[in-house]
Amino acid sequence: MTLTRQILGHYEEQSSDQREYLTLAFSPLSAPLRSRWRNNGLSADFLGDYVVTFLPKEGDLSITTSRQHELRHSVAYVANELLENAMKYHAQKGKIPISIHLELTDEHISVSASNGVDADQAERYKAFVEYLLDGDPGDLLIQRLEEGAREGHPNDSGLGLLTMINDYGAQLGWCFAANASQSDVATVTTRAVLAPQMLRSRS
Amino acid sequence: MKNIIGESYEVRVEEGSSTVIFKGALRLTGMEDYAPIFELLKATLATESAQVLLDLRELDFLNSSGITMFSRFVIEARDRADVALEFIASEGIPWQARSLKNLQRLMPSLKIVLT
Repeated sequence: MTLTRQILGHYEEQSSDQREYLTLAFSPLSAPLRSRWRNNGLSADFLGDYVVTFLPKEGDLSITTSRQHELRHSVAYVANELLENAMKYHAQKGKIPISIHLELTDEHISVSASNGVDADQAERYKAFVEYLLDGDPGDLLIQRLEEGAREGHPNDSGLGLLTMINDYGAQLGWCFAANASQSDVATVTTRAVLAPQMLRSRS
Repeated sequence: MKNIIGESYEVRVEEGSSTVIFKGALRLTGMEDYAPIFELLKATLATESAQVLLDLRELDFLNSSGITMFSRFVIEARDRADVALEFIASEGIPWQARSLKNLQRLMPSLKIVLT
């Protein structure tokens, strides 16, 4: 990996001081995928519940109970998909932890997941990201669903990202970063930003 | 046809009909794990001129692999001209209001009733 850091899509470093955040990290190599899997749902639901506690309950900025329910679900869905991907594609040989990070500012809510990837996986993922960024998300989603049905062993990878963009109005960004201590494994962070307008009305 | 009961979900076929009722949260790891549910759904298409109803009103959560499973089933049903497929969904469950419309793009004759 020649570049130390590569950004794709909508990925802005967070700079606001006015923010709340929460990070969960999972130690690498400590449990097999299957036993980890059930924790994805627990963690994702927790992030959904957590974010709602920061929303104003009264005043001009308050949102209704049904919007809270919607927001809780959106965060839980996005977090679950990002965690599932991170767990599935995590480079086992790395000592990089899998983590999920929730951030809340006045403007948006973001959920990001990080995991280790070896050079081949990183290249494949980047190629997929380019494919995502080039096309119309609605058409790509339908194309992916059709392909999934036709193949003998359908590959549903990427559908999670497409549903986040298409059904939840999320803006996605990626950061591939080389590691100083482990040159053969990079850290990829996938971030989904949910904008307030998306939270006010269904796309 | 048998019912499938998992840790966080339940898929039940109503006796003597082609109605399948889903409950809980479905977050299985991929198509391999969804295969038993997919087979149960496919079995509803075995009878001629089938009227198949999927009741999702208590399915609170579905991951993207689950969406893939439903889309595979919808495509199977689409390929059968004599099958009428209907989903009963709930407006109050966000994923249903957001994602079920994609299945309708796959099969325009799919009827989705939001309650």
